[in-house]
Amino acid sequence: MLQRFLDPKVLLNISGLELTAKTVVDGFISGLHRSPDFGFSQEFAEYRPYTPGDDLRSVDWNVFGRTERLFLKRYRGETNTRLTLLLDRSASMSYGSEGVRKIDYARFLCASLAYMAVGQRDAAGLITFDDDVRDFVKPSSRQGQLQRILHAVDRSEPGQRTDFSKPFFKFLESIHWRGIVVVISDFYARPSDIVKTIAPLRFHGNEVVLFHVLDQGELAPQLKEPKILVDMETQESIEVSPAWIESVYRTKIDGHIDQLRTEARGAGLDYHLVSTARPLDEALREYLVIRQGRL
Amino acid sequence: MGFLSPWLLAGLGLLGLPLWLHLLRRHKTTPMEFSSLMLFERHTESSVKHRRLDYILLLIARLLLFTLIVLAFAQPFLMRNVPAAGAEKTLRLVVIDDSASMGYGDRLAQAKAGALALLDSVKPGSKWQVGLFSSQLRTQTQLTDDPASLRSAVNAVSAGPSRSSLGELARALRGLAETNKTPIEVHLFTDVQRSSMPAGFSDLELGAQTALTVHAVASSEKPNWTVESVKAPRRLGDPKKARVIATLASFAADAAERRLVLACGGKELASKTVSVAAHSRAQAEFLGLDLPYGLNRCEVRSEPPDQLPVDDKFLFAVERSDPKKVLFVTGPRSERSLVYFQSALESAAENFYSIDVVTAGQAVGQNLDKYAFVVLADAGDIGPEFDQNLRRYVEAGGSVWAALGPASAVRRTTPVSGEPIGESRYTSRAGERFQSVDTADETHPSLRGTSRWANVRFYQFSVVRPTASRVIARFSDQTPALLEQNIGEGRLLLFASAMDNLSSDFPLHAAFVPFIAQTANYLAGLEDHAAGFYVDSFLDLRQGQSRASSVEVLDPDGKRALNLEDSAKAQTLPLSRAGFYEVRRGAGRQELIAVNVDRRESDLSLIPKEALSLWQGKGEESQAAGAGNPESQTKPWSMGRVLLWAALAALLAESVIASRTLRVEAA
Repeated sequence: MLQRFLDPKVLLNISGLELTAKTVVDGFISGLHRSPDFGFSQEFAEYRPYTPGDDLRSVDWNVFGRTERLFLKRYRGETNTRLTLLLDRSASMSYGSEGVRKIDYARFLCASLAYMAVGQRDAAGLITFDDDVRDFVKPSSRQGQLQRILHAVDRSEPGQRTDFSKPFFKFLESIHWRGIVVVISDFYARPSDIVKTIAPLRFHGNEVVLFHVLDQGELAPQLKEPKILVDMETQESIEVSPAWIESVYRTKIDGHIDQLRTEARGAGLDYHLVSTARPLDEALREYLVIRQGRL
Repeated sequence: MGFLSPWLLAGLGLLGLPLWLHLLRRHKTTPMEFSSLMLFERHTESSVKHRRLDYILLLIARLLLFTLIVLAFAQPFLMRNVPAAGAEKTLRLVVIDDSASMGYGDRLAQAKAGALALLDSVKPGSKWQVGLFSSQLRTQTQLTDDPASLRSAVNAVSAGPSRSSLGELARALRGLAETNKTPIEVHLFTDVQRSSMPAGFSDLELGAQTALTVHAVASSEKPNWTVESVKAPRRLGDPKKARVIATLASFAADAAERRLVLACGGKELASKTVSVAAHSRAQAEFLGLDLPYGLNRCEVRSEPPDQLPVDDKFLFAVERSDPKKVLFVTGPRSERSLVYFQSALESAAENFYSIDVVTAGQAVGQNLDKYAFVVLADAGDIGPEFDQNLRRYVEAGGSVWAALGPASAVRRTTPVSGEPIGESRYTSRAGERFQSVDTADETHPSLRGTSRWANVRFYQFSVVRPTASRVIARFSDQTPALLEQNIGEGRLLLFASAMDNLSSDFPLHAAFVPFIAQTANYLAGLEDHAAGFYVDSFLDLRQGQSRASSVEVLDPDGKRALNLEDSAKAQTLPLSRAGFYEVRRGAGRQELIAVNVDRRESDLSLIPKEALSLWQGKGEESQAAGAGNPESQTKPWSMGRVLLWAALAALLAESVIASRTLRVEAA
């Protein structure tokens, strides 16, 4: 029953991005209470035999008292991290074949991630971009940071063409801390160019996660008759037939996704394909399962 | 190729439907926004081409489907050479036209060469028959596979004097088909004269199993001149008054001057040069005909001879003789009849008669055989003995003209024939003012040009009740006015009134003189054969079934044309050759008959090709194709079944292409 409320179409009817994020995340967390192994605070990870040179402060002396053997106790997330959300607000993100635009879905996702991070007292920030950086909320864990992020997300309407190079270079210049970088985009560019642009973030010690948001109409378009398609970013038009869409296009979009996934993982980037037709918490769950132990 | 129902081809208009569907409807697409065309750039064009190719294939399949269905409904057929059905049983005929016109130039030689070439090309062992055709079909050989006999029959063919008649040929072929019950294959070599066509095209109909191939030996109309007709007196009284008029006709020839020569008995009597315009006629008149007594063989010929010599001369016979004797038997009250009869006969244009007038009593001892005919002024005056003499005279070939005047009231029967006489009626006594002639057979030689005796009033006449006579004219009360009966070799003509001006006012009318003159000529056997005789016409040899006397006929070569049996029994003689026939009848009568080639043979214009094709029942192409292969025949072959199968295949193809296209569109 809960899943029903997390349907993206239902979320569209909830006024206020904070309420939407709260609905998604609280429902999502409450659904996870039977799995205590998941969480965002410092948690026990493992015991490891002591080797000379290890920090003695990590020795579990209680274990030594019972067994007279030295073991180190390991924890996850030993420190608060910084989450930087990069939201693509290019014109192509306004596409939506079944009511939910990609930009809407991306904003829900962005708000939900920010809500979770702030709730864990992590520093969270936001950058929106198209062919340039359009909005920037510096990562912070101060009071009112969530509202600032949500406000920035709320005013993110589709703008110009996508150009990863310019905003990412600008971002690289300004980033001076390690953390998690989440890029939410439809990634309409050559996969090699995307990875080549984003991969340097990884070199700075960041965990980089790519959320590839695509509409079902892009993954499996269905035409009943030949159509003239107009590019939302370039306004180019072209006539396509249903048969070509059925055969060639699907092959090409699948190839594009596979290539992006392969190259991203090759560069140490996490890649997640998110369809706007899927429930939002399902996408979050999949993401967190995959990132278990990293956040 | 042809169509049995070509009007159904209008259904090809349905082709507009798929054209409209494909060309007009297809491009109604609405633009739709899409996030990015990045992935479309490289293959968009080819994809559209692919789609267009699909549509074009679908369009072609649909157009083909509609076209094939419409064509199938139009019932097309092809003319194909197929092996002749029952070839071994087929009656194969080579028929050569030997009519007079085939004597023009080398037409007959061409026909013979064509026939020989055809016989050379046939499969060895196949049986053929050679026939000739002019006015009728005559086979020259049996059905044989002997090439030598077939070739010799062809080589022996020569142009005859007859006229060609395709109607007769078609009738003969129909008869052959019905008799043999086998397919007939006919190869006709002819000059395809237009004049040989029958009046109705339906007369050319052939049997269903008869395949006709016409090998025309004439390809264009040729010039020809002919002496078309000659008008000359048959009996010559005064040679200086004789007039001969000859008509020269030109067929397809330019204007020219021709010389016409009048010759009799092989002697040239006169000649004239006439100018004849193109496609026209010209006449030449010869005055005076100085001929010896007896039967003279004359001709008018055109010089110089042209390529068809048989029609360059026109034969005619002229008899120069003393006047014929007529016995006029008069009675006590017949003086007026004699006056009017004699005056009328003498006033005729050419008087060939001298009248011997005798009383009934004197007539008994007369030798009647020397008279051309006998006239009874009033039949009531003669006695039974003379009646018997007259009977014998008529049966031997004589003619009697009897008037039933007032004296006939005492007779109960007519003279010679013995038919009953009811009464002698006087119109004044019966309260009638007069009787007039109500009906009359104007085709009878006596009544030609007499205006049916209009306004003639008869006051006295005898009522004859005919038993064997033929009534030629009737009075107003339907009693006979003029009757004729053939008795033996002769004839009896009964006039129900008298020839004077007391019994009627007929002698006072203009019709009286031609009536007397024509009846005299008719009874004397001197009526004019204005049209003459043409080859293949028939000459009447005797009047009835009597064998009282034989008729002897000598053909143009002077040989007997009839055997003894035919001389005694034959009713008619076919005149199969051009020339003079000498006919000797009973009672010493002799006549000369001139027979000419039918002048319709002189017109060498050709039958239109369309008519020939229609007769053969096939188009020109198949005619040409079938002409060279007598072992096969050209038959229409329906393409309907093939087209329906093709339409089915097109339907399947259309279904496959359409399902592939529409499945994508519906998805």
